Amino acid sequence: MIKVSLEEKLKILADAAKYDASCSSSGSTRANKGGLGNAASCGICHSYASDGRCISLLKILMTNCCIYDCKYCLNRKSNNIKRAFFTPEEICEITLNFYKRNYIEGLFLSSGIMKNPDYTMEKLIETIYLLRKKYHFYGYIHVKSIPGASEYLIKKLGSLADRMSANIELATSSSLHLLAPNKSQDKVENIMALIKENKSSAFVPAGQSTQMIIGATKENDYQIMTKSSSLYQAYHLKRVFYSAYIAVNKDKMLPSLKMPPLKREHRLYQADWLLRFYNFQVDDLLDQENQNFSLLVDPKANWALNHLEEFPKEINQVSYNDLLKIPGIGPKSAKRIIKSRKYYKLTITDLQKMGVVIKRAKYFILCNGKYFLNQNYLKRNFIEANLILEDHSPLKETAKQLSLFDE
Amino acid sequence: MNNYIYLYDGTFLNLILVIQYLLKRQIKPLNIVDENIYQPNLLDATIKLNFEKEETNLYQNLSKNCQKIIYYNYLTDFKNKELVIYYFMLNALKYGPKVIYFQKLKCVNIALSYSHYVTHEAHKLKGFLRFRQLASNWYLGICNPKTDVIFILAKHFQKRLSNEKWIIYDEKRKKLILYDQKNLYFLTTEEILKKNLKFSEEELKMNNLWKTFFKTIGIESRENKKCQQSFMPKRYWENMIEMEDENEKNNC
Repeated sequence: MIKVSLEEKLKILADAAKYDASCSSSGSTRANKGGLGNAASCGICHSYASDGRCISLLKILMTNCCIYDCKYCLNRKSNNIKRAFFTPEEICEITLNFYKRNYIEGLFLSSGIMKNPDYTMEKLIETIYLLRKKYHFYGYIHVKSIPGASEYLIKKLGSLADRMSANIELATSSSLHLLAPNKSQDKVENIMALIKENKSSAFVPAGQSTQMIIGATKENDYQIMTKSSSLYQAYHLKRVFYSAYIAVNKDKMLPSLKMPPLKREHRLYQADWLLRFYNFQVDDLLDQENQNFSLLVDPKANWALNHLEEFPKEINQVSYNDLLKIPGIGPKSAKRIIKSRKYYKLTITDLQKMGVVIKRAKYFILCNGKYFLNQNYLKRNFIEANLILEDHSPLKETAKQLSLFDE
Repeated sequence: MNNYIYLYDGTFLNLILVIQYLLKRQIKPLNIVDENIYQPNLLDATIKLNFEKEETNLYQNLSKNCQKIIYYNYLTDFKNKELVIYYFMLNALKYGPKVIYFQKLKCVNIALSYSHYVTHEAHKLKGFLRFRQLASNWYLGICNPKTDVIFILAKHFQKRLSNEKWIIYDEKRKKLILYDQKNLYFLTTEEILKKNLKFSEEELKMNNLWKTFFKTIGIESRENKKCQQSFMPKRYWENMIEMEDENEKNNC
């Protein structure tokens, strides 16, 4: 065997790991107990890659060797690519040195399946154990649990990590069976259930997440969001990540997309936020007639346009929940509105100071009984056209908003 | 309103003492200025107060949150920050902790945005600061922030790099904080010449590994340099190892 340099290995195994969307480092309160590292519960981004995604963790695979042959995956066994393997000591060396230089918040470790799930899990555990116990590393560790591994191994790994996750990959088990015949949703959901039951400050304190590939199979947004919603409810996931399908392999089972469906992915994330922080239900946003999100208007504005009879809402009166339903108002500004209006009646200038996006909200609000536009224009077509044109304005890029925080 | 400009010695303590003095006597100053920056002219009448007792009782009476907002305002370089603090403190004493919801008041609104500005920059630098290992095994992190955030950074790194020896250096203010595995030391210094620094052997190896990782982790078919730059503004690039190549391209 030819000896591969550490740099070459890192190149191969970071390249193989980069399609995993998760990079968050938030939610853990692991404190330094005389070693290296201390979690920041808000999470910290250390850099941004050329695709604009945040780099928070050293995201690598232990190995890209894999006994499975999932159609969509770069590392499938039928692909003729360079393979590499990190020893546990090598992973520790890079992680510790990167952490000391403040390049990263911690480690995100995943792996191809070597021999069998249990063997792979043992290798992952060996690595994380070394980091935690020999090198006393208290930074953030996100580790992928291998579906099909024994329960005691999953528990062992979970007791060492801040976040543990298993990817559901596709929204329906029929699609998963088609593209990843070695995987099954049941095995993944077994892990999720196990994590939920055992979660504590000493077991996966930052909770679990999962990931779905978007656009590789024919599921519509309604199916995807329904799946997400049921996962959130059943297993208390912190996040579901959506990953626009990138055609890395040619296969007759796969669509040949030139560009990943980034806009669709963006809409799914927006809707996901609505479920988690805005008290929306999937059925508010989509139904049997409308199974996909509009690419022109964001899901929340779209909901408002479909329910114009509920608008305009009086800023100085309506409940927190109703405030959240107004386009241009988020949880932060809604909370500020509730607190502030106790002391004085809010006007539109006050709203601006609180971070409300006036150009979106103005169609949907009353301030002290005052509507800002001609009431005759409180019509779907008019508002929709304005919102769309606003989003696609070429002037938007040149005319930057005047703010303290412009760079 | 009287027509005096009150000078303070540039320290936070002295600023608070001056403001307390004015608030207690209900004096509205024309301005409050750091004597190190102040440029005398014939028209101004200035006063420098001397304090026998250094009591900060009015400030101590404020809520923790208001104290933090005031301190963070002090860390900025905005020219009117002293007056903003004066009027914010006046209102904070009058209304109590709920003052932060009175954004109708200009001083509250500005104080909040200045404070947010500092929080934001400190948070960015907690991520973007890069330590480099010197030949002496000390780690050196150089930054060039718009606000005086190295103390906030030092408190952050004291927790996570408690067994290392490091220095955080603010190029712009020529100030540094040094940590010797035990205590933090504040020093003002002469300029550190970057080209004279000697790094450890391991440093170069790690720099290269990090650059390799950084280049590899971006997905080509999703390239979005604009998004990258909006999250990571160019003014931080100079001291970020992974952006060295980009930065050189820009300077050419």
